[in-house]
Amino acid sequence: MKHQGRSHIQRINEIKKLIQEPFLLISILVIFYLLILFVIFPIYQVFKTSLSYEGHFSLKNYSDVLRQSYYIRPLFNSMILGVLVATIGTFVGFVFAYAITRTPMKAKGAFRLIATFPMVSPPFVVALACILLFGRSGIFAGAIGNIYGLTGLTIVEVIAYAPTAFLALVGVLQAIDPALEEAAMDCGASRIKIFKTIILPLATPGIVSAWLLVFIQSLADFGNPMILSGDFSVLSVQAYLQITGMYDLARGSTLAILLLIPTVIAFYLQKYLLSKKSYVTVTGKPTSATIKNLEWYIKYPVYAFCIMFALIVLLFYSMVVWGSFQKLWGIDATLTLRNYVQMWRVGKNYILDSLYISVIITPITGILSMFIAYLITRKQFFGRNAMEFSSMLTFAVPGTVVGIGYILAFNTPSPLMPVTLTGTGFIIMALLVFRNLPVGIRNGVAAIEQIDPSIEEASIDLGADSGLTFRKITLPMITPAFFSGLANCFVRSMTAISAIIFVVSGKWNFITVAVLGFVDNSQYAQAAAMSLLLIAIVLLALGLIKLATDRMGRGMQSSSIIE
Amino acid sequence: MKEAYLELKDLTKSFGSDSDKVMAVDHINLQVKEGDLVTLLGPSGCGKTTTLRMIAGFHTPTCGDVYIDGVSMNQIPPNKRPTAMVFQNYALFPHMTVFENIAYGLRIRKESNEEVKRKVDDIMNLIGLENLGDRQPRQLSGGQQQRVSLARALVMEPKVLLFDEPLSNLDAKLRVSTRLEIRKLQQRVGITSVYVTHDQEEAMTLSDKVVIMDRGLIQQVGSPAEIYSHPVNRFVAGFIGKANFLRAVVETVDAQQLLLRFLGKKIVAPRWNKEIKAGEEVLIVARPESILPEHPSEALVEGVVVNSVYFGSQMLYEVELPDRTVLQIEVADPQYHPIFSQGHKVGLAFKDRSLHVLPMEG
Repeated sequence: MKHQGRSHIQRINEIKKLIQEPFLLISILVIFYLLILFVIFPIYQVFKTSLSYEGHFSLKNYSDVLRQSYYIRPLFNSMILGVLVATIGTFVGFVFAYAITRTPMKAKGAFRLIATFPMVSPPFVVALACILLFGRSGIFAGAIGNIYGLTGLTIVEVIAYAPTAFLALVGVLQAIDPALEEAAMDCGASRIKIFKTIILPLATPGIVSAWLLVFIQSLADFGNPMILSGDFSVLSVQAYLQITGMYDLARGSTLAILLLIPTVIAFYLQKYLLSKKSYVTVTGKPTSATIKNLEWYIKYPVYAFCIMFALIVLLFYSMVVWGSFQKLWGIDATLTLRNYVQMWRVGKNYILDSLYISVIITPITGILSMFIAYLITRKQFFGRNAMEFSSMLTFAVPGTVVGIGYILAFNTPSPLMPVTLTGTGFIIMALLVFRNLPVGIRNGVAAIEQIDPSIEEASIDLGADSGLTFRKITLPMITPAFFSGLANCFVRSMTAISAIIFVVSGKWNFITVAVLGFVDNSQYAQAAAMSLLLIAIVLLALGLIKLATDRMGRGMQSSSIIE
Repeated sequence: MKEAYLELKDLTKSFGSDSDKVMAVDHINLQVKEGDLVTLLGPSGCGKTTTLRMIAGFHTPTCGDVYIDGVSMNQIPPNKRPTAMVFQNYALFPHMTVFENIAYGLRIRKESNEEVKRKVDDIMNLIGLENLGDRQPRQLSGGQQQRVSLARALVMEPKVLLFDEPLSNLDAKLRVSTRLEIRKLQQRVGITSVYVTHDQEEAMTLSDKVVIMDRGLIQQVGSPAEIYSHPVNRFVAGFIGKANFLRAVVETVDAQQLLLRFLGKKIVAPRWNKEIKAGEEVLIVARPESILPEHPSEALVEGVVVNSVYFGSQMLYEVELPDRTVLQIEVADPQYHPIFSQGHKVGLAFKDRSLHVLPMEG
């Protein structure tokens, strides 16, 4: 950190300055309170519960869990699944990223869309499609053996999380200047040699980091294993079952911590790799020219792979569409709208609750994340690093851990929160806001760092205080990042499941939980219908937000000139 | 005359579909002698970089061919061509040391370790990179990176060395010293080179031959002096150096000279273009230093000084003519000439020998 070497006098000066800006001071205090209450406290509670036995500090929960194969198994399984999914997913993502950035493939837009579509759809839709395809009454029943287990989960999670690797790797490959390849070719290197000596070494940190990202997602995944794991139990589902099935909070917390540790390690490893990015373009502007004449023996296998994977993704999603219109999957293929009617009758409240909550929390998250991003990039205050750390923390923490933390923290009143929140809509909102905050903050920081500080200094020089400067100068310039943050927050909140499932109640429920319920009852058609409705809502919202951004975009062009 | 070492025949590159075609390079022909440095000069979008990339093999020509030492290059992929390029942004491999960057091509060629070491050390000494072999590219200054890029190309002993605006990322001072170094080195090694730039000063100081390009076509090929004093058309005249364009009518033509009438006054100019006939309307290209303001007299074209700036070594004037056109005039050694200020009436003397006459273009 660049501000580590601050002296005490500077610190005191910072505090003095803060006191002169009461709005700033109060908002910093409020944000700290909220972060402690909704981020630190719940995670602390999970640790505390896992480390206490009959009211005392003890490691007994851990020794119990680690001694019984019933509990060790999920840890082992989660790791195997994570490694498999991360490896295959990164490979798929790399081939797609290579095709998009380095070949003259046609219809790149369509491939990009298909490759990233699983990101906006709820995570368990792929699992649902997998059942419709390969399940007991599926079209290809038995074609790949028993899908309830490692095989099915691997296939499903690769489809669901390869997009993450793809997006990360597109960035990595785009950052490698094509002129380097031309220079190597000019020195006599063949295409394969160039790949081995230039592209691969330069992309390695990015590939490892993409691998870790997928690994984290697979570990944290709840929806797919909930549907498909069968006898192959994984940590996230086991922790959930311990708590909701056996009411064993200690065991559940312990499993949650076992899930948290590898995730956090992987997350910081990944962050470290990214911070080291020493190899990205050394000099000058990258040339836009890319080599168009690719040899056929490279082009066609890459194309074939992309087409195949795209077809598989399409097949999975079209299964959901088709399934939603059939009377009884695998038995009666008569087309009908009955599933939709039934789904609506049963799930109306779930859908309206989700919409209501998401619509409320999206702008709150958007504004709060931008404000925190502004504070940590532009303001000097005591505890700035602590604020950055705690606000980004939930990004690394699996939803299951957060969910358990929220039950433990808010089931009873505490000094921090004098009323019980469990069972209210407020707890769901708080959870979603603080879970979606990190992505928004990251976008915001990236956007703000691109604004020359002298523009803000000019505003302060002309007499505006921090708040006015933020509203009049900074905010308009970060509007595009703000809107993309909104879009992301809405999608993530509508499709959330792993943490949400712990805090829903009879009064306030969630659409994703309803879909899981249908799947649980083997009402696959209704589950499919509801998933489609969910996807439709998400796409509609994305479209509206994009429309708004484009509108604003025209007004924003002036800001790019200033930069 | 010696046969061309590098030859471009009908070289053409078009982008886009048939209905929406852009001719980036339009049937150009060029011959380069062995050991010459030729610059391709023109505004952005003129096709110079595309031409260079076709020579290197990064673009496939739509039609036409490149010959190096008599061998057609069309079927030869870039990694097998006897060319080496110095890139605009240097394109140094960021994960390799300076030594490994320079050695890269030799290792691809599978030369022995001793050979590689000897060749790389030699070239590093030649270029002034001694003791930098263990550095990472990012630890070097822009000028040093530039040299590594040059060394990496030279060590391959290519038949043709290609430069893609290699100095555009350096600051102005370094640019001047580096281009002199490049020229000296190129002459010492005697390597045939093609150099792309949009900087006319660079082209003038570096080249044996300058190729002026515009809109995919070669406008003129010539030595720097030829291009400056005898541009073939208005584009070239305006692109290289400053120029005033004056419409005049030819009165008489003799073996050496043209007698022209301009604003009612007589002007004499050398006869270069044999096609120009008496009675024709023509364009006089008058460089700012070819016009001298004097005290008004009957024989001289009259004008009014609208702006005058003293530069020490030079006097810059803007003079408005009766037909409202404004001429740019530079007078060297102001101490030896009368000095005029804004509003003064002057008579303009044209230095006969440095005027150039072009036919009017359609």
